[in-house]
This record gives sequence, C-alpha cells and structure tokens, in this order.
Amino acid sequence: MHVKALAAFAAAVGVGLLSGAAIAQEVKQEKQSVLGNANVSPVTQEQLNAADRNSKDFLLTNGNYAQTRFYPGKQIGRDNVKNLHVAWIFQTDVKESLETSPIVVDGVMYVTTSFSHVYALDAKSGQQLWHYAHKMGPITVYCCGPNNRGVQVLGDRVYLATLDSKLIALNAKTGEVVWTTNIADPELGYSETMAPTVVKDKVLIGTNGGEYGIRGFVRAYDAKTGKQLWNFNTIPENSVGVWATKDATGRDMHRNIQAEKDMLAKIGDPYAKLGGGVWQNPSVDLATNRIYFVVGNPSPDLDGSNRPGDNLYTNSLVSLDLDTGKYVCHFQYIAHDVWDLDAVSPTVLVNVKDKDGKTIPGVIHAGKTGHIYVHDRKDCSLIRFSEAMVPQENMWVLPTKEGARMLPGANGGVEWSPIATDPGQELAYAINLHQPMHYRVESSPYPNGKLWLGGAFTAIPGEQQSGNITAVNYNTGKIKWQVKTPEPMIGGILATAGGLVFTGEGNGKFAAYNSSTGRELWSFRAGAGVNAPPSSYMVGGKQYVVVGAGGNTQVDFKRGNNIIAFTLD
Amino acid sequence: MFGKLMICGAALLLFAAEARAETIEEKVQACTGCHGEDGKPVDKTIPTIWGQQAGYLYIQLRDFKRGDRKSEIMQPIATQFERDDMLAIAEYFSQKPWPDLGQPRAPKDVAAKAVSASASVGCPACHLDRFQGDGTVPRLAGMGRDYLAKTIADFRTRARGNNPGMSDLMLATSPDDLAALVDYLAGL
Repeated sequence: MHVKALAAFAAAVGVGLLSGAAIAQEVKQEKQSVLGNANVSPVTQEQLNAADRNSKDFLLTNGNYAQTRFYPGKQIGRDNVKNLHVAWIFQTDVKESLETSPIVVDGVMYVTTSFSHVYALDAKSGQQLWHYAHKMGPITVYCCGPNNRGVQVLGDRVYLATLDSKLIALNAKTGEVVWTTNIADPELGYSETMAPTVVKDKVLIGTNGGEYGIRGFVRAYDAKTGKQLWNFNTIPENSVGVWATKDATGRDMHRNIQAEKDMLAKIGDPYAKLGGGVWQNPSVDLATNRIYFVVGNPSPDLDGSNRPGDNLYTNSLVSLDLDTGKYVCHFQYIAHDVWDLDAVSPTVLVNVKDKDGKTIPGVIHAGKTGHIYVHDRKDCSLIRFSEAMVPQENMWVLPTKEGARMLPGANGGVEWSPIATDPGQELAYAINLHQPMHYRVESSPYPNGKLWLGGAFTAIPGEQQSGNITAVNYNTGKIKWQVKTPEPMIGGILATAGGLVFTGEGNGKFAAYNSSTGRELWSFRAGAGVNAPPSSYMVGGKQYVVVGAGGNTQVDFKRGNNIIAFTLD
Repeated sequence: MFGKLMICGAALLLFAAEARAETIEEKVQACTGCHGEDGKPVDKTIPTIWGQQAGYLYIQLRDFKRGDRKSEIMQPIATQFERDDMLAIAEYFSQKPWPDLGQPRAPKDVAAKAVSASASVGCPACHLDRFQGDGTVPRLAGMGRDYLAKTIADFRTRARGNNPGMSDLMLATSPDDLAALVDYLAGL
C-alpha cells in the first residue's frame, strides 16, 4: 500500500495514530482545479458539417445535423461489448432529473444538469475542468422538470439555453460568460430545456411553454453577438387550417366542426395563446439549407372548446429556410389535439424509399402516438407510418369530465426521447412508454402564464405500465424487433457502427443490444434512472460510451447525479 | 384561535406605515403577525412562508394585488407593493429556514395511498422530488396540515382561483386520495 493510500485510509477510518497523522501531513495533496481550463481547439463549421463521419468527437447532441444518433466508430462491437466496464464516474452538484446529451470536442466533454448547469470534463479521466452554475432568476415556469438537454460548441464558445429563458454563450475554455440574451418572459410561461443547434453562425432555439398558453417560436440568434436574426412563430396568425377530421393515420378524431366554426365566429382566431412549444433540436439539411423540427401541443392541452380550428402548426412537422426563417412546408399529425399526444422527439434526416420504391431524401419523426412517421423532405408530405410500437385503444375518444380511458397515455409512445437510426439496416430505434391513462377535460380561461392543462391526464392505478425498445424498418413501416422493459422508457438511444444500440431504463439499467436482433449483450446497474441519451467518442485511441444517470422528473424515476463513461481494456 | 387572529389583524392595521418602510426588515415586519415571528404561522390555516420558494411567494403577492387570488387580509397588503418590493420580500422569506411544525409522519398505509395518487396525477413533475418545489412552484413538504387541506378544498371549488391547472388536477383526484396526500405532505 502506498503512503498516500495509507494516509487516506487512516483519515477515512478516523485512526488517531500519531504516526498516521504525521504521514498525512507529509503527503503533498494533488492540486484540485476548481475552475480550470479546457484545452480545446475551436470547432469549425466544416467539422460540424462532417460530424456524421467523425468517430473521435460527438459534436452535436444528436450526433450530427441529420440527428441520426448513429456513431460511426466500431471499436466496441458485438463480440467485445461484454467486456465493457466503467472508465470513470463524474458526480455533478445537482441531484435532479438528468436529460443531458453529452457532447465531446477534442477530448473535452460538455454535460449539463437540471437548473441549467454546465460542466466541462476531461473525456478520458472524468476530471472536472470547469463548472458554470447559472444564477437562476426567481421566476421559472416550466413543465416536466427543471431539465436541460445539452449544449453545442461553435468556435470557442459553448451555447446554452436556460430554464429562466436566457440564451448564453460561454467561453469553451473557461466557462466564463461571453454574452447573455433574454429569449422570452418566464413569467408568461416561457422556459428553455432544449440544447441549441448552432449552424452557420446562427444559434437556433425553440421554446417550452405549451402548458402555459404561450405563443411558441423557433428563433435564430447571431452566434457572435446574441442578437436576434429571425423569428418564426410556430402559431401563425391564421391557425385555423383545413378543418381536418382525421389524423395522419386516417382515424376519425371526433371533432365537432360546426361547434368549432361557431366558436371561431364568436372569439376569432385563438393564435395568441395557442401554445406550440418546441422541445428538441431541429435537424439541418446542409444541401438545401433547410431545417426540420416538430411543434408540440396546443394550449390548453385537453380543452379544445376555446381554440377552434386545426391549431396550426401544433402537432406538426415544420420546415423553414435556415437563412431567413421563412416557412417552407408542414405536415400536421393531429389537428385540434385534445390528448397532448403531440410531436416532441427530434426529427431525423435519412434517405428513404418513397411509395414507388425510389430512394429520396426523407425526414422521420417518432410520435407520442407510437408511430414512426416517414416524410418526403421536399414538401413534408407523409410517405408512410409504422406499425404502432405501443398498444393503442379507444383512439380518439374525447376527454370527459369523469375521465375517458385511452391508450397511449399522454406521455406516449415516444416522448422527447431522441431516436437513433442505422441507415445500413434501414432501421430506426425508438424507446416507448406504455401508461394507460384517463383523459379528463375541465374548462377555464387563460390563467396569465399559469399551468393551463384544460383538465388532467391521470395514470390509472392498478393498470400495469411498461416500456419497450423497438426497431422499425422505415422503408416498410414494419417492426423488426422489440424488447419489452418493465417500466415506461424515457431518455434516448444510440446506434453504433459496431452493430449495437445503447439505452437505459428508469430502474437504473443501462444496456447494449444487438442492433439487428435486439438481443441483450451487456448491461450495467447505475443506481439511479438512466433517462438520458447516450453518446460515444474516442480519446487516446479508445472508444468510450457515456450516459447520464440522474433519473427523471416527468415519470418520477429515482434521482441521481452521475455521468458514467464506459470503455474496454 | 380568536385571540391569535385578532393579533394577526391588529398587526395589519399598522401595515400602511410598514409599506412605506425603507428597509426590507421594516417592510416584512407586519407579516410576522400572521406568518409568525419564528416562521411558524399563528393559525394553522395560514401558510408557512419561511423557506418557501421565492418565485412562488412573488407570484402570490402579484396575484393578491391583481385580485386573481382572493384574501381580505392579503389583498390590501399586496396592493401597496410594486414588483420590486414583492421580489425583495419573496427573496427575504425564501432565505429563512423552513420551520419544523412538528407534524407526525403519515402511517405507512396512508403514505402508500398518497404516493400512488401522486404518481397518478404527476405531482412530482412540478413539485419535484420530495415535494421541495422550485421557482414558482411551492414547497409542500412539511407545510401546515390544515392549510394544505383548506387549499386543496379551495382548489376543488375554484375558490382559490389563481391556478386553474391545480384545480383541474385536484378535481381529477378523489377526496380519499387527497386526504391521504394532506397527511403525507404535512409529515414530510
């Protein structure tokens, strides 16, 4: 045993031996860097554009601008993943819901926690390089936990959006604030939990607040100055639409169109407080200079009586021009939603087969409905939707005062959790929730930025909940394989060129599966809910897989504060 | 009880002068008459504000002033404050230690019933783990039992009108389950 270890042992067990104390005094302590420097090279736009082919770094929260979450490295594969072990564990200062997607730049990892903290870590050792603890304003109004899903780096700056609705640029080396911009007024229900997407000197950000009667948006800010460049209202001034009576899959939604038209004549277009939050990053098509994202639910969630019309562009895929923010196309999954079965999980750009079997640029989205929707990237039109990944019952029964039972429950299907894809196998991998719920409606006027659900969705006590990991062939819509899990799944998934998918569960299990068959090949118990998307990277010639284990507020999984990196010997 | 409320009311008579007070300590002096000098409210239907979330305290003062939350006592008080006063008062009380009201832990069966009801309606999604609250969402753990019961009842009748979302959630939960939740939260 080394002298240093002996001293530590003596101190740990409280041994009062004179010699032990003397030894302890002689030991020179390692210098702990509280606010150190991250020795990181500036990230160029060219690096970001090529992120999908880069196995060294993990530059964007969903891997690359197409958001495939397909990691091209394959040192960890089906044959050796059984030997995967913990490389290091980093404990954050915040023990609350952890939804972060770690990014890795040049051997430096950036992770975030609830309440908008950011840490820079040595990706090889897990040592803290710096910590940005955001000074939160007194007013925060947010749904589903004080989460933060990550940051992005461009140049020598780290971009963060905070719970009190600010956009902040940090120095990537030191964590010091370079500029701060107020995005929106938190007192009116605006908050930020998503990671920004930074491209071509623009910081793209949406907003939360669909549960509070906001008017949603996606904006671009100048990456150098924080000045707003363009704004796209996710709710247009004419939000009425085409009075669609069927959802994207052709099922009747039982709308009373005449009653809605009467209400429209009485109150006018309800666009001003109609919600339409955006929870996750847009994907960026660098070839056409377009972005694709999905818009969340209308406000109030369950009561449609005071919001006549289709409530555009809630529950929709939307595409914009990257340079101007001008509308290009949209596709609405559920018009006039009264179930909160909205669109949340980030879009993914992949080539897909159209209805004639021709390969075209596609965009796919996994819905809370439990379907994966496949679109033509050109005009947003729907090519196909997958088999349902979760049980669907009694769709679309209207919510009642007493509560109407319907599946899926209001969390999905697929929640905000990003999916992964493996283009070589034409597969999309999604994690799902199964929570039987009662949908109840109550009517109340706009409550000035307070919670405005228009009723309640309540899990039915005694009815079994569960989850699953599902692989779907997006060119056929068929389920290739499915692994059932004992609890609903929320967090995210990563596919790798090593023929694996990695994902975690609320009970603390983190596992690797054969991406072609779903066979479990390795697992680890993290001790708290693994409800965050994993990432992978290389440093010192070794591949690592990293994931946050901090539980989840929304589904109330056990909280923790660990960032855990795994590697092979 | 009557005597305590009289003292509480008498303190308020002095309030017009307090509102013009300079320092924060002077401004909050009148609050102690009802909310307690040591953070323990003088009456069980009065909420604990020591250690409460600042954002929540601010929003309540704002809503009393606007008339969105009704109270014959609080409305005239809040009316005299500007936004900055409200934020300062909220911050002042949020920094005080949460008082132990000495309420008993709920029995196991009551706690289990409460946890099940809480999971069904999703209380921790806003009130967070262990019901500590955050920002504009209040701490409920260890709040006075009678205040909790009264507030929930007022949400159900919408007499407490400044958070219709909470009314919806309380109406979606059975009175039995809510009674268990009151005991459980008070004893945390």
